[in-house]
Amino acid sequence: MTALVSHLKLLEAESIHIFREAAAQFRAPVLLYSIGKDSTVLLHLARKAFWPAKPPFPLLHVDTTWKFRDMIAFRDKTVRDLGLDLIVHTNHDGLARNINPFDHPPSIYTDVMKTVALRQALDAGGFDAAFGGARRDEEASRAKERVFSFRAAGHRWEPRRQRPEMWQLLNGRLGKGETVRVFPLSNWTEGDVWRYIALEKLDVVPLYFAAERPVVTRNDQLIVVDDERMRLEPGEKLEMRKVRFRTLGCWPLTAAIESDATTLDQVVEETLAAKVSERAGRLIDHDQAGAMEMKKREGYF
Amino acid sequence: MHVAALREEIAPATVAVSVPAPQEAGMVRLLTCGSVDDGKSTLIGRLLWDAAGVTEDQRAAIALASHNRVVNGEKIDFSLLLDGLQAEREQGITIDIAWRYFETGDRRFVIIDSPGHEQYTRNMATGASHAAVAILLVDARHGPKRQTRRHAAICDLVGIKKVILAVNKMDLVDFAEARYHKIETEFRAMAGSFGFTEIATIPVAALSGDNVVYRSSNMPWYAGPTLLDYLETVDPKTEPTDAPFRMPVQFVLRASGDFRGYAGTITSGRVRVGERIVDARTGLGATLKRISTMDGDLPSAVKGEAVTLVLDTDLDISRGAVLSELARRPVNADVIEARLVWLSETPFDPESGYLLRTATDLAPVTSMSISALVNFETLASAPAHACNVNDIADCRILLGRSTALDLFRELPLTGNFILVSAIDGATVAGGVITWAQSGAPEVGDNVLVLNRELLARGLCSDLGNSPADIAEFNRRAHEVATLLRSIGVPVLIEI
Repeated sequence: MTALVSHLKLLEAESIHIFREAAAQFRAPVLLYSIGKDSTVLLHLARKAFWPAKPPFPLLHVDTTWKFRDMIAFRDKTVRDLGLDLIVHTNHDGLARNINPFDHPPSIYTDVMKTVALRQALDAGGFDAAFGGARRDEEASRAKERVFSFRAAGHRWEPRRQRPEMWQLLNGRLGKGETVRVFPLSNWTEGDVWRYIALEKLDVVPLYFAAERPVVTRNDQLIVVDDERMRLEPGEKLEMRKVRFRTLGCWPLTAAIESDATTLDQVVEETLAAKVSERAGRLIDHDQAGAMEMKKREGYF
Repeated sequence: MHVAALREEIAPATVAVSVPAPQEAGMVRLLTCGSVDDGKSTLIGRLLWDAAGVTEDQRAAIALASHNRVVNGEKIDFSLLLDGLQAEREQGITIDIAWRYFETGDRRFVIIDSPGHEQYTRNMATGASHAAVAILLVDARHGPKRQTRRHAAICDLVGIKKVILAVNKMDLVDFAEARYHKIETEFRAMAGSFGFTEIATIPVAALSGDNVVYRSSNMPWYAGPTLLDYLETVDPKTEPTDAPFRMPVQFVLRASGDFRGYAGTITSGRVRVGERIVDARTGLGATLKRISTMDGDLPSAVKGEAVTLVLDTDLDISRGAVLSELARRPVNADVIEARLVWLSETPFDPESGYLLRTATDLAPVTSMSISALVNFETLASAPAHACNVNDIADCRILLGRSTALDLFRELPLTGNFILVSAIDGATVAGGVITWAQSGAPEVGDNVLVLNRELLARGLCSDLGNSPADIAEFNRRAHEVATLLRSIGVPVLIEI
């Protein structure tokens, strides 16, 4: 696809193509909506792909109950304004067992409240395809990800069993028990996502903009405290710092960065000049070597 | 075609001026091929490292990990940037395709890193199918090898038009000019037999970075561009701008207010509101009424744009149809010949069921035979009937029904296909169409041509010009053609 269009428009067209291929080839797709910047772009592209009709699939949010309050408010407003169907799923079994990011290591918490929860929700809805906002520039094992990423029964990702993808041709014919994760943003970078948000004037969660927020410094990472559930270690104290997020997840597990970027233009500028990769702020990825690859094999995104 | 004028039409009405969006041919998809021994991972790692495609925490992690492996006594093991999967890191080889992104100035690069070993031909072909430009890597001590010819041939097969020969490890031949020129001459002679439109050669030393991003002081005799200089200026366009219009229909969109549009990505050429377009499979035509997008209607659209076309009459077509211009149409074929790369571990089986997946159509294969295997090192083909993983083969395919397609060398995005197993859905081969035969007859003797005039005279004399009447006109034409064809009368619809 070479054309006299700018590269953001090219990426946009490629993503729309992927959305339409998936909607045409799968019986029951769903869009995994996690409220962050990538989901914002993903949802916008889904709307463009089927305009003037609404996207022919619902949104699914896996709520760990540890999302920032600002995120939930943003989610509800977005769905209401656009008149979309939203499914919210929480692993109630995990909740009953009080699996939380303070008493359990990140790997266990993530497995129960995110990975297992996602599997439950996909099975309950009978979905055969789930759109996600993963990008190949995020992390080493993602760099080899397909656009149609096949999952064996039980949602397991087998790197050696992925289908080759040639040219623009996407093969969505499922084998027995198989489901698919679809990644329309595969070829986008973090910089592209922000530039596109600016270009299209999209609203994002306010946490992406710098503001004075209550912060605890832990292992050299800045943890923003969102509610009274935070447990301070001896010697730790809350302080107000001007911070923002490059990536949004569960609040005790997602580190903020010090920043003065309060406008979209400043965020774009700061992102393009950044010397540290975005996942440095994702605590769950540093748990062990090849952490993301392990999580994906278990059925995480 | 005027670049500036085109872009004006495409750009959304309100572009934030402060956004530094790269423009015009702003994305180059680049394949890198060569074997581990040629230093491929080191070359890409060096390119990313020097061109600032690596972040500080990645740098720190790579520096740390490099201490755990001793590879050629290097201080930094650049290949760690690329070998993503644990299985690969443990084996020390690259078995899958990895995608990397970096940008310099106004240009975005997508590096598609593919394995070089012969047993991974399928991975290389897969990676190459996404690229516009390829870097072929050779070791200056050895020059082009058998596999270099194979890599060039695979690039040519999947449609790459521009190749760069990077003559690596020049430090190990004392940066000798004569050595470089000998390799260059040898390579140009070899590559001349392919369909490349541009061939560049560059002497580099990836480990030390000579001529990768920074100009080498060790090779003052070389006056050409560095690798990055070349990449920043190469024109990734592959086709003429006056190519015929094609849009394979992906999805039929219906919305309130009896909106009905055909959603798809334009794979070649350009289309304007008011033009006559035709469904290649039925021969039914209509006038383009609107090009609809969420950002508003467009007066015209070009290759690469994802749009929704609204026609003045309902052609009653569905996913799999190819909308085309009136004059230069696709072939409505039910017999094709193709060259393919076999991707599946399960060999070709003439008794097994396959489906042909073209741009958006999925047609059943009624019979398929392999005619020859191509030896990609000698480029000779030998008659054969079997085909295994990593083989490049010529084949003949009969379809259960006709589908609209083009020859790959003319229009790649409507001339390529994958072969899908009807049993488990696996993608078993990818191929390019080299010859296609129309199931519909050519105009000549004994062919009934159903044109507008003929139909209006009798069968459709009661119909006027309202949208409902025009739809009914098309329906009757289609119905008559179907009935006549069912008793063996060749019919061509031209309305």
